[in-house]
Amino acid sequence: MGRLLENHSKQLLAEHQIPVPRFFVAGNEAEAIEKAEALGCEVVLKALVPVGKRGKAGAIKFATDAKSSGEAARQLFGTVVRHYPVKQILVEEKLAIDQELYVSITLDKPARKIAILASSAGGIDVEEISAKYPDRMKILRVDPFRGLADFQAKQLWAELGLGGAVLRQATDVLIKLYKVFVKFDCTILEINPLVITKNAKVVVAASLMAVDDCAMYRHPELAAYVQLGSDRAWRPMTALEKQVVQVNEDDPYRGTARYTEMDGGDIGFMCGGGGGSLMMFDALLSYGCKPANYTEFGGNPPERKVFGLVKGILSKAGVKGLILSANISNNTQVDVVARGVVGALKDKAIDPRKFPVLVRFAGVNDTAAREIFKEAGVEYYGEEISMSMAAKKMMEKMKQTYPGSQESQAASGA
Amino acid sequence: MGILIDRNSKIVIQGITGREASMVTKHMLKYGTPVIAGVTPGKKGEEVHGVPVYDTLRQVCSEHEINTAIIYVPPAFVLDAVLETLDNNIKLMVVITENIPQHDVMKLLLEADNAGARVIGPNTVGAINPKERVRLGAIGGDNVERCFVPGCVGVISRSGGMTSETSYMVKRAGLGVSTAIGIGGDSLIGSPPKGLLALFEKDPDTQAVVSFSEPGTSFEEDVAQFVAEGGFTKPLVTYVAGRFTESMPEGTIFGHAGAIIEGGKGKPSTKIKMLRDAGVHVVDRYDDIITVLQSLNLEGVRAHAATSER
Repeated sequence: MGRLLENHSKQLLAEHQIPVPRFFVAGNEAEAIEKAEALGCEVVLKALVPVGKRGKAGAIKFATDAKSSGEAARQLFGTVVRHYPVKQILVEEKLAIDQELYVSITLDKPARKIAILASSAGGIDVEEISAKYPDRMKILRVDPFRGLADFQAKQLWAELGLGGAVLRQATDVLIKLYKVFVKFDCTILEINPLVITKNAKVVVAASLMAVDDCAMYRHPELAAYVQLGSDRAWRPMTALEKQVVQVNEDDPYRGTARYTEMDGGDIGFMCGGGGGSLMMFDALLSYGCKPANYTEFGGNPPERKVFGLVKGILSKAGVKGLILSANISNNTQVDVVARGVVGALKDKAIDPRKFPVLVRFAGVNDTAAREIFKEAGVEYYGEEISMSMAAKKMMEKMKQTYPGSQESQAASGA
Repeated sequence: MGILIDRNSKIVIQGITGREASMVTKHMLKYGTPVIAGVTPGKKGEEVHGVPVYDTLRQVCSEHEINTAIIYVPPAFVLDAVLETLDNNIKLMVVITENIPQHDVMKLLLEADNAGARVIGPNTVGAINPKERVRLGAIGGDNVERCFVPGCVGVISRSGGMTSETSYMVKRAGLGVSTAIGIGGDSLIGSPPKGLLALFEKDPDTQAVVSFSEPGTSFEEDVAQFVAEGGFTKPLVTYVAGRFTESMPEGTIFGHAGAIIEGGKGKPSTKIKMLRDAGVHVVDRYDDIITVLQSLNLEGVRAHAATSER
């Protein structure tokens, strides 16, 4: 799920004949003033960050003229909105609002349909709409093969009280939004608010759009707008994270390697499999360990992918140990992984006899893997110990190597 | 017995000539699985470890009786492969492929629902019935008995790898597996745990079920409700992984694409509470699966497992 910045989503909507306000992007205060002057009207200034609920976070400001635009821009540029520092802002024509509507399009997974949620109460959080105005909210589930028919869109808005020219426009906008949602493999397209202006025009005032990472192969035109892997971070991706994404993309069809940096920590964490990694991370925390990152690999990756991944893990400042723990593999060749790990340790000039490294990984070709690890001086276990036991042993190993360290300590020892 | 797969499974593998599919075909055959045919467009007449390859599924079905399909084709072609499977009236399919566009998955699941067919996956390691020696997919690797021995415990896991590891826990408890199923790590899947529990409830060979749960989705909440309503009456043991994700910013994926807390939904703590309230054995530590299984007193069946192992 890659979220687009609002300027990008609005540009896409405009390209599909959906009315949006006039807007510019400003990278500093002076630019904001200049753009506000160019618009020549009251403006809205919004932090361009890929998160929702920006209004509540104070990331949206209003200004009556160029001078006050500068003031608002100055306030925005200094802030960090939900872990994202504000580097750019949207400077946009302020609409004369008569009524605010809400509409979102998402995948209703249990129903296997595309869900359209619409309300005649917009401009506030959807949770708030459903709590305060449940009778002003309608949901329509669309068969993805059949698509959204004009009459369905019209009926939806009519039931929400729209009529006349506005009903026709809102219908037209919804049909086009649905087309955009399908065309770009969106996971969400939320318009909040969809505005009816004082001169009876229906305009998208704010848009939130995310597209499916897995569908990017059929949307090369979106490549510049979507940071692959960004759904595995809650803040802008770090250089190391981007580096590992590249390592993964270099062999796109063989195995996966995913890497997220945690705040602080001293243990490099490398785990096979999505479920196993969730379990191991909990286990390490329960023994008082502090993993420095969250890494998951699987699907029988080639040696160079493992090599690149381990190098990334060991490159983070403060990493003083490495645990590789995985479930008994179904298809991942443990010996291939072993060569990648040992190669990366050598490359980083790390001696596993001094720097704690612990491996628990049984499965395909693990007899050969055991030899490779043993020869390199790595403490290796197969299925003779459980994954939880491996976490406990890692805690003990860290304590022995770094007695009295501030980080990983047996806080609970539970 | 067991659920969904047995000696009567007649299996076709779509995309059989691919690198992974070919290796898995070898492993499946070695285990004794009835793999009847494979499909790869343009490769009719070839063989993969003795299994005949056809250009289309229609060709396969005109010459063989098929009731189960394994889909190993690349992401862009999965939707079409599923439609082809449904068009040939095959009612059970396992979609191994990972990273399929969500819109495609939604469509293929909708069509399968409409056709009354069952999809396991996508993004699954497969399923196995050790007593009948039938396995669909990579599950078990090249050394099946390491994790999977016949017995009375059903296994359901949102993680492919943990399907094997959990079955290994069952083995360490002195028991074995009736059927183990990796349901896939995504939030949009064909066979969530609740429906599988309904099948295990009716299976005379299954005395208890162990499941591996994760953050995100409402799968575990649905299970809790199902158990509370009396839909599943056998002992259910589960471990909910990823408790740490609750202290991380919402909307971040850890591990599987389906493991994401959004809008306050999908939290492990909520799942654990609901499951416990419904009477499910939720273990705090993964290794506790062993002791809880042993405490369930599945004596008669343990003897059965031991017999089958010999």
